[in-house]
Amino acid sequence: MRGYLDTLKVIAQIALRNLFASRLKTLIVGGIILFGSLLVVVGTALVDSVDASMSRSVIGSVAGHIQVYSAKSKDELTVMGGMAMESPDLTPIDDFAALRRTLLAVPNVKAVVPMGLSAATVIAGNTVDVVLERLRALARRKLAGEDVQAAYESEKDHVRQIITVLSGEVDNIRKIQSEKAIAQDDLDAVAKAVSPELWAGFDRDPYPALEFLENRIAPLASDADMLFLRYLGTDTDAFAKSFDRMKIVDGQAIPRGERGFLFSKWVYEQQVKLKTALRLDKISDGINKRSQTIARSEELQRWIKQNTTEVKEIMLQLDGQKTASFRRLLQGELGSQQSDVAKLLAEFFRVDDANFARRYRFFYDQLAPMLELYRVRIGDMLTIKSFTKSGYVQSVKLHVYGTFAFQGLEDSHIAGELNLMDMVSFRELYGFLTPERAREVREIKTMAGMKEVARDQAEAELFGKPDLGGAASGGSARPVDEAEAALRSLAGRQQRAARASQSYDPAQLEQGDVLNAAVIVKDPRRISQTIKDIEAAGAKAGIPLRAITWQKASGLVGQFVTMIRAVLYISVLIIFAVALVIINNALVMATLERMPEIGTLRAVGAQRRFLLGMLLVEALAVGVLFGSLGALLGAGIVGVIHAVGIPAANEILYFLFSGPRLHPSLSPANVIISLAIVLVVSAISSIYPGLLAMRVSPRQAMQSDD
Amino acid sequence: MNHIVSVNNVSKNYNLGQVVVPALRGVTLDVAEGEFLAIAGPSGSGKTTLLNLVGCVDTPSAGTVTVDGKQTGLLSERNLTRLRLNTIGFIFQSFNLVSVLSVLQNVELPLLLQRTLNARERRERVLALLDRVGIREYSKHRPSELSGGQRQRVAIARALVTRPKLVLADEPTANLDSVTGTNILNLMKELNQSEKTTFIFSTHDARVWAYASAVVRLADGQIQDRVSAEEAVRAGGLPAGRPA
Repeated sequence: MRGYLDTLKVIAQIALRNLFASRLKTLIVGGIILFGSLLVVVGTALVDSVDASMSRSVIGSVAGHIQVYSAKSKDELTVMGGMAMESPDLTPIDDFAALRRTLLAVPNVKAVVPMGLSAATVIAGNTVDVVLERLRALARRKLAGEDVQAAYESEKDHVRQIITVLSGEVDNIRKIQSEKAIAQDDLDAVAKAVSPELWAGFDRDPYPALEFLENRIAPLASDADMLFLRYLGTDTDAFAKSFDRMKIVDGQAIPRGERGFLFSKWVYEQQVKLKTALRLDKISDGINKRSQTIARSEELQRWIKQNTTEVKEIMLQLDGQKTASFRRLLQGELGSQQSDVAKLLAEFFRVDDANFARRYRFFYDQLAPMLELYRVRIGDMLTIKSFTKSGYVQSVKLHVYGTFAFQGLEDSHIAGELNLMDMVSFRELYGFLTPERAREVREIKTMAGMKEVARDQAEAELFGKPDLGGAASGGSARPVDEAEAALRSLAGRQQRAARASQSYDPAQLEQGDVLNAAVIVKDPRRISQTIKDIEAAGAKAGIPLRAITWQKASGLVGQFVTMIRAVLYISVLIIFAVALVIINNALVMATLERMPEIGTLRAVGAQRRFLLGMLLVEALAVGVLFGSLGALLGAGIVGVIHAVGIPAANEILYFLFSGPRLHPSLSPANVIISLAIVLVVSAISSIYPGLLAMRVSPRQAMQSDD
Repeated sequence: MNHIVSVNNVSKNYNLGQVVVPALRGVTLDVAEGEFLAIAGPSGSGKTTLLNLVGCVDTPSAGTVTVDGKQTGLLSERNLTRLRLNTIGFIFQSFNLVSVLSVLQNVELPLLLQRTLNARERRERVLALLDRVGIREYSKHRPSELSGGQRQRVAIARALVTRPKLVLADEPTANLDSVTGTNILNLMKELNQSEKTTFIFSTHDARVWAYASAVVRLADGQIQDRVSAEEAVRAGGLPAGRPA
């Protein structure tokens, strides 16, 4: 044993001294290894951290650990990050209770959340429509003799104000673009709306004028944007419990057993908020969170320009009184004598780095309280119309309870584009029959005397048996009347239902269809086994299921990490392939140079494995020394990055980082992997030179000219 | 008399591409223990080939070579190496020291390969031997810091450190000036007499023959004759009728 150790010492000594003797070569080889192991440490630490933070984002927001859906589905399920506007075509699973039972029987499953994904376009908040409706109501009350004169006048003012704004707008467009940019019809309509004739008789008989305004002028105010909303129907209670990163930002959660809608805070800000205010917020974020300056950033300059040119959105909201207040406030703030509020607003929004903070505060403190900042307010009713699978339009009116966000992902569009809705309303919009609907349909059928008739008996059923003669026609009148009555009563009931049926029996959540379900597991390390178990359990229970991991369920986003990991591994592979070749070459050169020395060692009595050991030690020594240095340096770099954090420069990174900054941390595995790779590469690269050295004959030592 | 080396009708051919070059042709030679044998001959006569065969770094194409009772042609590569390590010491024309090791480490190397002595024993033996060859004070130097004569002394010490029965020296004085060469030969001769180690060395230096117990003269891969040192010196070393 001692002898072995001493031999090893000599081998090491020869090897190390050889390395030292050819310092330059050693340094070059070492440098490559150092860079390689540094890359492995930093790279794997980063990717692991992104993986961890992203899985936190995905699992904790919508996907859960596993997503389950019907194996009969045409499309594959993606719950987020899907680029297509359309939701995937999934075959519904019609008995959620059975599905839930089946899933909960699988060992590793902790919770099951029912889900359905869909999207709808919602028309929200045309300012002109709203104002005209208010004016119509006031006019009716005034004509009925109520004392609403002041409110009526103010509203009338507002309408005339709106028309002035629109008319200015139309003129502008004609000036800037072309005479033909606006249709003659619309020009005439605006001209008529401004004309004194329209307003002269307004107080006496407002209805014709109102109708004209509603039909011809309101459509010209294009602020009635369509909202495209993607929504997730779910058991909102179970959702909040299972996805702990969800938090309510404004308002409240949808109470249990109530129908309702929760806006994603991100959607609420980006789509529902007054554009001018949104742009101010973005500028503020740019300056405060990303250290941008208006002077330098073209993006900020663009938003400022849009704010100065698009003051109409605010102008439409101002009635006479508010116009006066705005004029007074803005004149005071700007120190201006300008009386045109539109020009004052444009001037106000023309901000620079020096005055932005002050104007931002002024906007929210002084101006915003007089404006509707959001087109849909918390507490409003939102009418969502959607095409059902079979193609007819289904509409549901829902109470907007509030907004929510996923912690750490507040600014992420990928996590933020989904709004929430109760499962019962979702089913209705999707075209599933709720139990009440099904019962109603049955009632209509019975009252109308409808019954299912086999095709070959249809004639007999319709016209009666021939021998009964004329008696049949007399009898048929009665059911028709009753059917009409039933339909009438149904329509009435449905209208009432729309108002009153904001509640439902929570048991309904359990019964009925879902499109997919999120599964939360107890032990996330056993996901792949659980997926197999789930599919097996589904097959056994007669519910053919497809179960996918959160990575797959999160679509492109989930595969992103796999992609960077692949890129990292490929670059590591390339670097170490290069390192392998270079180390190999260096050792081959060294071996060739040392042929006489190796021959001498052989002649003197060194066995072949002594030489192999010598080269191996040389390669390993370089590997271990520089590999460790690289790993150490890498660990240091990861440490520094951890302290500083990598800022998420864009939204995708924000989502991947699960927040505004990534603070990667080092795990022992990162270092161990790096050192293992270095050792393996060193060992492999000494194989060929080792073989060469072993083939050196001791005759090489004899150099006489014989 | 015991023969430490027996070469029996040995031929050795080298293949140079398509051409077969005979280096030795039917050589027979016995070397008794304690001899100080010189192998003389011009370049290309087969001196080194013969030494290689005797030194177990090569095996014959035909015939047998027996070293210390072992027929080399029957030994595996491993056992040949072991035989070299334990029975034979080598002294090379260009010294062939390991440049990155110190004098002491160079001499110690064969002992480390043998793995029979502990560190203290090795050190004692190495230092005694360095003392014996007169370079003890240089034990920590690197070979590159020594003169040619000093290096050859290190090489001699390395060859003798395992107390081999046989020392082979390939042109040991060829790279040394005459004074140094003489000193080295004196040292070898001394060791031959005190340690009873058999020495076989190849040389074409006539001055060297005077030290030999016998001179074997080689030409064209064949032994011309085996003569005493005096005869060889008288004859000018080279076989009759074949001037160098």
